[in-house]
Amino acid sequence: MKTEERHAQLELCIPYVFGRLNPGNRKQFEAHLQTGCEQCKRELAELYEATALLPLLLKQEAPPSGLRQRLLSRLSSKRSEPPRGTKPTPQRDVVETPAAQKPSHSWYLYASVVMGTLIIIGLLFFLNDQLRTTGELEKKLNDLQAQVQQQQDILGILQAQRVEMLQLASVEAGSEAFGRIFWEPEKRHAVLQIVNLPAQPIDKQYQLWLMKDKKYLRAGEFDVNKEKSNVFAVMTLPVGERQEIEGFAVSLEPRGGSTEPSGVIQLRGATK
Amino acid sequence: MQQNALAQRQQCDREDADLLRRILRADQRALTTLYDRYAPVFFPFGLRMTGSHEVAEEVVHDLFLHVWEKGNSYAPQNGSVYAWLTALCRMKALEKMRTTNQKKKGNNGEGSQPRGAPESEEKQVGQETVLTLKGYTEEVRNSLKSLSKLELRLLELSYYEGQSQSDLARMLRIPLGTIKAKMRRGIQKLRQTPAQEGKRP
Repeated sequence: MKTEERHAQLELCIPYVFGRLNPGNRKQFEAHLQTGCEQCKRELAELYEATALLPLLLKQEAPPSGLRQRLLSRLSSKRSEPPRGTKPTPQRDVVETPAAQKPSHSWYLYASVVMGTLIIIGLLFFLNDQLRTTGELEKKLNDLQAQVQQQQDILGILQAQRVEMLQLASVEAGSEAFGRIFWEPEKRHAVLQIVNLPAQPIDKQYQLWLMKDKKYLRAGEFDVNKEKSNVFAVMTLPVGERQEIEGFAVSLEPRGGSTEPSGVIQLRGATK
Repeated sequence: MQQNALAQRQQCDREDADLLRRILRADQRALTTLYDRYAPVFFPFGLRMTGSHEVAEEVVHDLFLHVWEKGNSYAPQNGSVYAWLTALCRMKALEKMRTTNQKKKGNNGEGSQPRGAPESEEKQVGQETVLTLKGYTEEVRNSLKSLSKLELRLLELSYYEGQSQSDLARMLRIPLGTIKAKMRRGIQKLRQTPAQEGKRP
C-alpha cells in the first residue's frame, strides 16, 4: 500500500472509534483491517484505550443493588436451563427469615447467616438430585442459588478485616421497627438488616439513603414482603469511609427508587 | 505518583484478564468481582448516554451478560479488558438509544436526541471515584487537566452523544477546521497520559 493510502486509512481510525463513518466507508475500512494492517490495528487499540479514559471522568455511581442479583439469577437460569427454554427469574434482592426478636449482638447475625447457608446448601443438593427435571423446581433452584450467593456476599462482608456498623432507629414513636447496617469501608459493600418494617405496597419499594454533606445519596432498594420479617439486603454504598458518612436513612419510595427521598423517612441513624 | 498509577493500572489490567479467563470457565465469582469493579463506572456511563436510570441499568445488565456469554470475543491484542468493556458498553447504550428513538418515532413521528449532560456534569469531575481504580482515576484526571474545556466538551459530545464534527461545528458556530484540530489535539492529550504511554510497545 502506498504511503498516501495508508495515511488516508489512518485518518479513518478516529471517526471509526467514534462511530462516525458512513456505512460504505465503515465497510471499506473494516475490509482494510481484514488485510491485517498492523499500523491501523495498533492505532485503533490506542484510540480505544484513550477514549476509555472518558468514562472515568464521570461521577462514579453504583447501580441499584437489585441489578447485581438480577444478573446473577439470570446467569444461574442460563446455566441450568436449555437455551430455548430460558424463563425470566424473579429478582431476589433480599433474604427473608421468620419474624425475629430484637437481637442485641452482631454474632447473632453472623450465626444466622452461617446456619442459613448450610441449610440452603443442603437443600440445593437435595433439590438438585431429586427434582431437577421440572421447570418450576429449576426456578426454585435458581432462587436458592441466588440466595446462597447473597449469603456468601454477606459472609464476605462480615468477615472483612474492617467492618463498620450503625444502628437505625424508627422515626415513629412506639414502632418496633429497627435496622442495622454493616459495611466494609474499602469495598463499600454493605449488609442491611431490617426488622419489623411493614410490608410495602406493590408499587412501592423501600430505599436506603446515605447522608453526606447534608445530601441524600441513593444506596439501594429492597423489598419487605412479609409483615414482621427480618430482612437482609446486600448493597454497594456510594462512599465507604465512616468520616465521609453523616448517617443512613430508609424511606418508602415508588418502585425502582427515587433520586431523592419523596416519602416519609422510616428509619434513621447518624454516625456523629 | 505517576509510576504508582501506572503500576496500579497495569495490575488492574492483569487482574481483569485473569478474571475474564475465570469467567470463560463459568466462574460466577469472577464475574461478580468484575461487576463490582466496573459497574459503578459503566452505570453513570450508560446514564450519561441514555439519560435514563432504567435504560442505564439495562445497559449494564446486557454488558455483563455479554461478558458471561461471549467473553471469548475479547482479543488481547486489541487492548485491555477495560477498553473492550468500555467499547462494548458504548455499543450497548447506542443500541438502546436507537431502539428508544425508533419507538418514539413510531409513537410521535419524530426521534429524539440523546440527553445532554446535566448542568452539574463538569462539577462532577473530581468527586467520587471507584476505590479499586482510585489512584489511576486521579492520575487520569490530573493528566487531563491539560485538556481545555472546549477540547473536553467536544470529545464528550462526540463520544457520548454521537455528534459528528460537522454537527458540532454548526451547533457551536465554530469553523469545522477548528473543531477537527481541537478534537485531534484532545485525543492526542488523552493518549499522552502516562498510563497510556506505558501501554505502548
